[in-house]
Amino acid sequence: MKNLLDFFLKYNYWFLFILLEVISFVLLFRFNNYQGSVFFTSSNYVSGAVFETANRITSYFHLKSINDDLVQKNVELELQIENLREKLVTLTNDTTGIERMKNESLMGYDIFKAKVINSSLTHADNYITLDKGEKDGVRSEMGVVDGNGVVGIVYMTSDHYSVVIPVLNSKSSISCKIKRSDYFGFLKWDGGAASHAVVKDMPRHSLFSLGDTIVTSGHSAVFPSGIPVGTVEDISDSHDGLSYLLKVKLFTDFGKLNDVRVIAKKGHEEQKRLEEQVKRNSK
Amino acid sequence: MIGVFHRIEWFVGLVLVQVLILNQMHIYGYATPFLYIYFILKMNSKIGRNESMIWAFLLGLAVDVFGNTPGMNAAAATCLAFFRPSLLRLVTLRSLDEAFRPSVKSLGVSSFFRYSLLASGLFCTLLLMIDTLSFFQWEKLLLKIISSTVSTVVLIFCAESIGRKKS
Repeated sequence: MKNLLDFFLKYNYWFLFILLEVISFVLLFRFNNYQGSVFFTSSNYVSGAVFETANRITSYFHLKSINDDLVQKNVELELQIENLREKLVTLTNDTTGIERMKNESLMGYDIFKAKVINSSLTHADNYITLDKGEKDGVRSEMGVVDGNGVVGIVYMTSDHYSVVIPVLNSKSSISCKIKRSDYFGFLKWDGGAASHAVVKDMPRHSLFSLGDTIVTSGHSAVFPSGIPVGTVEDISDSHDGLSYLLKVKLFTDFGKLNDVRVIAKKGHEEQKRLEEQVKRNSK
Repeated sequence: MIGVFHRIEWFVGLVLVQVLILNQMHIYGYATPFLYIYFILKMNSKIGRNESMIWAFLLGLAVDVFGNTPGMNAAAATCLAFFRPSLLRLVTLRSLDEAFRPSVKSLGVSSFFRYSLLASGLFCTLLLMIDTLSFFQWEKLLLKIISSTVSTVVLIFCAESIGRKKS
């Protein structure tokens, strides 16, 4: 007995070691499927505040390139609007039509401005932290976009911060389609470079070619249809040979994300509440 | 008592440097230096395994909370603290019963180099293995481990030379 006690006392650090490792791995594996674990992520109060302060300083360094991007985008859009306006006027001879169209395209969606205060690129499961949370109206499962294209979907929210699952996460899956032909598939990420992702389940009979633009399909309630995703860069067969696998160059540069917009469908909460109620009743 | 405050200062400083600067760094898309293990490496040789493991666990957890990687750094750092006495015994003939802080001065350049190389190698291997559980690509993992280890050792030596000038 004494020998046994001595043994345990002598090697007590083994027990502590095993205990700490077990705690670590429990945290690691529960994070993946436990929505309530906001405390252990960058959206808790302390880390959120630290990242926000740091971002306030570092965001100045990117201003120049962001400005360039915006100017470029602006010019493109202006040209496009001018073209479209001309076409519309020639087609309809109705000057109030433009005004009506503008209102219709954004109708049904709320848009919140948010800043990225933390992000990663190199893990298998990357996350992005935003400086807006539930108090600002952000809820989980809202879409996130930036000026160039799709960023990801809100995963967890605390009062003032939220964590986003970007395209660059093995769990991310966004329904999207080929802009030209409307065939749709799922945008997934297979690790590797942060500038590319893949579209899976593109049907065998679908029509597309290299360089085609991929946009969101609008089939889910998260994104409206037509938000740019990227261009097709390579085509290969899926493992089972039943569909095509498209390698997509993403429009969004995840390395320099800063200002993003959270898109929420109006009535999103109402729909969610209704669905939850149905689930509860059917139990 | 002063020692504890001093250590907490180091703790907070290294965590901030790690999460605000180094975690955003990906040299050639692979190498991320993990300077914060400097805290574990520099602990006095007399500090018991249990105490150093608890410090390492908290340190790793702090980095995890900021990096959205709950448990990963904590697991690797705890493991490093667990093996630290063995690493020290491997590189130096000094008895661990006498109190000394591992440094270039107390161990000599070559021993301290081997010590930090082994420790960083062990740490990076564990951490990146846990990280890539889902997509396993050998060459990429190996490249990541080697480049991260090298950059970590370089930074440890930078920190060491700054610290030496001060004292």
